[in-house]
Formats: sequence, C-alpha cells, structure tokens
Amino acid sequence: MRVALFTTCLAEALAPRALKATVLVLEHCGVTVELPTAQTCCGQPMLSNGLPGDAALLARRMTEVFAPYDAVVTPSGSCCSVVREKYAGLFADGSRDRAAVDALAAKTFELIEFLETKLGIDPATLRAKSSPRASTAPLTCHDACHLRGIHRHGCTEPFLRSACGGDVRELPDMTQCCGFGGMFSTQFPEVSTALGEEKLAHVASTGATTLVASDTGCAAHLAGLAHRKGVALRVISPAEALAESLGLMEVQESGAPNGGKHGAPNGEKHGAPNGGKA
Amino acid sequence: MNPLIAPALPFDMKPRAREAVRDLKLQQFVGNATHLKDTQRGGIFDRDFGAEYDALRTVARDTKQYALDHLDELLERFIANAEKSGATVHAATTGREACDIALSIARAHQAHGRAQSCVKSKSMVTEEIGLLPAFEAAGIKTLETDLGEFILQIDGDAPSHIVTPMIHKDRVATAKSFVRELGARYTEDPTELTMIARAHMRGLYRAADIGVSGANFLLADEGSAVICTNEGNFDLSVGGPPVHIVFVGIEKLIRGARDLAPFLKLLARSGTAQPLTIYTSFVCGPRRAGEHGGPKELHFVLVDAGRVGVLASEKRDLLRCIRCGACLNACPVYRKVGGHSYGSMYAGPIGAVLTPELERAQGGANASQSGAGLANYPDLPRASSLCGACYEACPVKIDIPKFLLHDRTRLRERGLSPKSEGATLALWRWLAERPTLFRMAIGAVRLHARMLGQKDSRDERAWLTRVPGPGAGWTQSRDLGVATGESFREWFSKRGSR
Repeated sequence: MRVALFTTCLAEALAPRALKATVLVLEHCGVTVELPTAQTCCGQPMLSNGLPGDAALLARRMTEVFAPYDAVVTPSGSCCSVVREKYAGLFADGSRDRAAVDALAAKTFELIEFLETKLGIDPATLRAKSSPRASTAPLTCHDACHLRGIHRHGCTEPFLRSACGGDVRELPDMTQCCGFGGMFSTQFPEVSTALGEEKLAHVASTGATTLVASDTGCAAHLAGLAHRKGVALRVISPAEALAESLGLMEVQESGAPNGGKHGAPNGEKHGAPNGGKA
Repeated sequence: MNPLIAPALPFDMKPRAREAVRDLKLQQFVGNATHLKDTQRGGIFDRDFGAEYDALRTVARDTKQYALDHLDELLERFIANAEKSGATVHAATTGREACDIALSIARAHQAHGRAQSCVKSKSMVTEEIGLLPAFEAAGIKTLETDLGEFILQIDGDAPSHIVTPMIHKDRVATAKSFVRELGARYTEDPTELTMIARAHMRGLYRAADIGVSGANFLLADEGSAVICTNEGNFDLSVGGPPVHIVFVGIEKLIRGARDLAPFLKLLARSGTAQPLTIYTSFVCGPRRAGEHGGPKELHFVLVDAGRVGVLASEKRDLLRCIRCGACLNACPVYRKVGGHSYGSMYAGPIGAVLTPELERAQGGANASQSGAGLANYPDLPRASSLCGACYEACPVKIDIPKFLLHDRTRLRERGLSPKSEGATLALWRWLAERPTLFRMAIGAVRLHARMLGQKDSRDERAWLTRVPGPGAGWTQSRDLGVATGESFREWFSKRGSR
C-alpha cells in the first residue's frame, strides 16, 4: 500500500511539528510515508467563501497529485472532510472529474481514523508494543467540528485515552465549536473570540495544561487566543500527542508563555529540538 | 412591525452581534437555555430511539419532501376536505393579503357590533406577515396568549427564538413587567407569575370576538390542522370566541394523519426534549349542531408569502422545516449573538438561510421589503463557523451548511462580499496552482514571522501580534503563532526514506 501524506498548507505554515509527528506515528505503525511534493492547498478557503470554481481547480489538482497512491492521510480533520464530503458537489454527476474526486474521497483519511479503521490498530495494543513515556502532562481533547461530516466527531479522545495511557481528561461541552470557522474568525472576530474564550474556560476547568485540537485552524485560533491572554496552554495535534506519549518525539518544555502581546521578545530558545529521533 | 425582527434593509448584523456578545445577561440566559435544551434533546432521542433516531429522521425528511413535491395536489385535497367540514379556506399570496383577509373577516363581524378584540396563540407566520400591527391599526385589541409572547407584547419586545420566544429574558424582568403593566405585586415565583398572567387572560378569552392561531401541520386527507402547544392557550382561543382564524404557511401540508406520527415523535423532542407537547390539538371544521364549544366560523388562511418562490428555487429543502428550534439551540453562533442579531422572526441557522430567501421570493410584496434577498442580508450567510451542529440537530435533515455555502457563492457572484478578501483568495488559488511559488509564499510567511514576530521561549514559534489585510480581524484579539524553525519538507527530505 502506497501511503501519501496530505500535509495541508496551514500545517506546513503553522504547525510542521504536527506533520513530523504524523510521519513518525505512521512509520511506527509500519507504514512507509511518501510526500508528493506538488501538493499545495485543497481549496477549502475558496469553497467556504463563495468561490467553488476556484475550489474545483484545486480539487482537480489534488486528484492528480494523489493519483499514484492507495491511501492519503492527513492530520487535519477539516481538510479531510472537504475532500470526503465537499468535492463531489463541485462536479457534475457522471463527469470524469467527479469520478476522480470520488476515488480520492474513498482513499483519504484523517490520521486517527486511518490508524483505527484502515489499519485496524487497537490503541491499547499500540501502546503495549511501544516504549511509551511513563507519564505525560494531563491533556484534554477538542475535536474539529468538520469531523462530524466524516462521522469521526468525538473519536479522538477515546483513542488517545488508550494509546497515551496517561491523564486524558474529558473536555466539558466538547461538541461546541471553538469559534475558528475559517474566515468567520476574521469576519466576526468578537463572536469567534467569545466562543474561543468559552472553550479555553472549559479547558482550564479540566486542569489540563495541554490541549489536543484535531485541526490546525482550531489549534491556531485557541493557541493564539491563549497567547494573547497570557494563558499557559500547550496546543498540539493528536499526532503530536501520540508521538510524544509513545516515545517517538521529545515533549516540548511546557513553560509559562512569555507574557502575551506586550511581553518582551525572548530570542533565546531552550525547548527541546523538534523532530524527535530524526 | 418591531424593528428587532423587521429591521430597515439592507440589514447590518454586525453591530447587533457585537452588542449581544457584550451583553452578560443575554450570554447567561441564552447560553444556559440553549445548552440545556440541546443536551436534553440528545438525551431523549438516545433514550427513546437509540440507533433508530437516524432512520426516523430519514422518514420525516422523505415524508415532508414528498408533500412538498406534491403540494398542488395536497392543497386541492386539503381545500376540498376543509370546506366539506364547514370551514372557509382563503389563499393569500402575500402577507398583506393575508392580513386583509383577516381584517375583512373582522369587519363582517364589526357590522354586527363585534370583532373589537382578539386572542391569539403563538404563530410564526403571523409574526412574518405582521398580523398584530395590522389588527392594532384597525382597532382590534389583540392579546398574545402564549406566556412568553405575552410578556414580550407588554414589554414592546420581540421574539428571539422560534420555540422559546423570550429566551433572552428571565423571570426578574417578567416580575418587573407584571408590576408595571398589570399592577401585580412583585414576585419572582414562576407559578405565581403564571397565575397572574392566567388571571389577566381568562376574562379576555371569554370576551374575545376572534381567536387566531397558527398550525404545525395541515392534514390534506382530513382537511384539518394540528396545533402543538404546552400551555393550552390554543384550546382556549379556539373554544371561546365565535370566530377562529388559522394562519398557516402552505409548506405545513402533509398527506394526512397517516403521515403525522414521525413528526409528532420528532417535533417536541427536538424542540423542548418532551415526548409530546402537553397539548396536541386537532381542528376540523366549525362547531357542529349539538356541540357546545368551538367557533361558529372557522377560517383557514393559507399563506404563500414567498413559499412558492422558495419551492421553485434551489433552496426548496428549507420548506421541510417544522420550526422545532433545535438548530438554534445547537448553534454556537446563535448561543453567542441571540435571536435579535438575525433581524428576523426566524433566527439562528435556519433563519440565516430562510430569511433572505423568503424576502427574495416575495419580490418586495411587503412595503418594508425590496425583494433584493441576499443583498438585504449580506451578513447572514457569513455568520456561521460551518460547524455542522445545525445539520446534525435537524429532525428533517436540512443541510443548512450546504445552503450557507450556496448563499456565500451568490454573494460573491453579485459582488456583495468584501473585495479584499476575494482578492486574497484569488491570489491564494493562483499560487496554489504553482507549487514552487506556493512553497515560497509559505516560506515568506515563516520568514516574516521570524523577522517580526515575538519569539517563543518554548519552541521554534514566533508570534505575530498584527497581521495586515483581511487577517486584521484575527489579531484584534489573537496572536498568530507561526513555526519558524526547520520546515517540514526540509526535515522530511533530510532524513531520507527509511
């Protein structure tokens, strides 16, 4: 089985560590990961903002870029749902493009979904077969809303709970959106922020110091809000949570944030280097 | 009409949304009530239907869709059967026409010295057509008999939720209104407050000349209407006055009682997490010889007011809506901005897609409207994070996010979306077709952050506190963390294949 990593443009720009973790976890599960270098953006921003024609151009590109592979795996629940749920609507029934996007949809998976449903990995067994870290900081988990569309909403936490073996705390009101919503976050910043603050309050109520958010956009929104407010919170992807707890990746130091907006820039970095064993 | 639900057009949602987010009481009342109802809704469906819930929704969706696809036939059957039962059936193309029909019925009674007062039970379509202002202007004193609507009426307020119209108020506000408007003694006890309203209303029911209501379902086979309430106020409004008028949108038609079961199972559970509303009333014909209650005259006013236009449009699925309010309760944005931010009697996700469509389809038939549709409500399709909670909650499976996207496309086509945002997206797409340039653009973002961002002590991220262009809304309240260390692709190619 040839497996391609669908990186997503947002993760390449904002969260490369999530992508490194995805590769490490997949390799740990015996999968050889290939990186189609011509991939760019899946077209979600255009699709969500009234430009389906532009989105269709990028959807067609996606089918070409990923044509040689048997499976396409991504750490982003949201971009995954676009390929799976939304691409079909961009092309007429019976067209060649439609057949191509349907074929792509059938082989595209979000990482945890791929591990669980395609590889049939039992998270507890996965942990038993690794040399896991003895303990990790308490974490809680917020699933991206777009996982609803692929019937995976609420599936990340139980998987992490068995796989990480550590202290995974239930997030109250997990099903409510974090308020990101793509361009919604800039069009209705007050509403988006209010929802983000509510999410952060729920996270704080669990006592967890690490939040696992299953999409780069949600993670950027919540981390950015926490940083501005000076709240000490690590926001990572499910892939990173897995890679860390299975001992595939160093845990980044979880120090206090450096003071939010008005804090003095701190050029010195003393966190563990990215990349784990690489 | 109340500008809260019938604002000047084009409607600007943003100031109302901003104000609502800052309104601590609204945040508390609307937030608590919607969370509670949404949780209870999930609970009762789990308990009563378990895995079969989805199949039930599919049946309801298909049943309602069948009715919409055969609306002409069902209308004819309904009219024939209703007339057979002795009711009078009127058809109104516009809201104005619907009000005029009611006024002419009232005038026929005024000739006999009646029709000075009306008792009205809760109805969305009468809000839509502006019946109450029309009656008041004609000197017909009208009492809202639904407790929530009554409180809004005496406060000069407007409903902000389809099912729980005073979700934005609490009993403290109610207590004060009852002291001020009814001369009652101050009490915050819900039972006492209800008894005060009841004492005030009972006499008015007896004296009223006209009863008015909406309907939840119209049964074509039986020529009757089904009305679901929790307060029994409909039964009083139909039992006392000599004339009763049922206003109902034509999309409420179903084949008949044989198709009713799935909707009764879904409606109250979706709306208020009850197995059934306390009262499920069937109205069929006026009082018959030998009967002691019921109106001597029963009128059905079948309201189009844009529905035929919606039926002919790509958004016809919206007419399946049974007004349960579940999508409002589930919606994160509604929870934050409340109902009045939507500038319509239909708030929340369903309102965001239905309001512009009804306005367009009416083509400016109402004086306050122009028929410009989306151009009059350019914010509504954008006021969503597309989280999909509405679609998941909808008992008749209306894919609301799909219609929000549909409307965003129409906005863009008509030049009604922000230009700078469109230019950014066009550039993004152009770059995305050129992988080398696209990677350079991502590199430029990372370089920008490395040069100008605030370094993080924990990892290789830099935080941008100000972003230009369409991103400015982001950094109004959030920083943007950008990874500035080794890129993923550098890392991946360096380690080689293993």
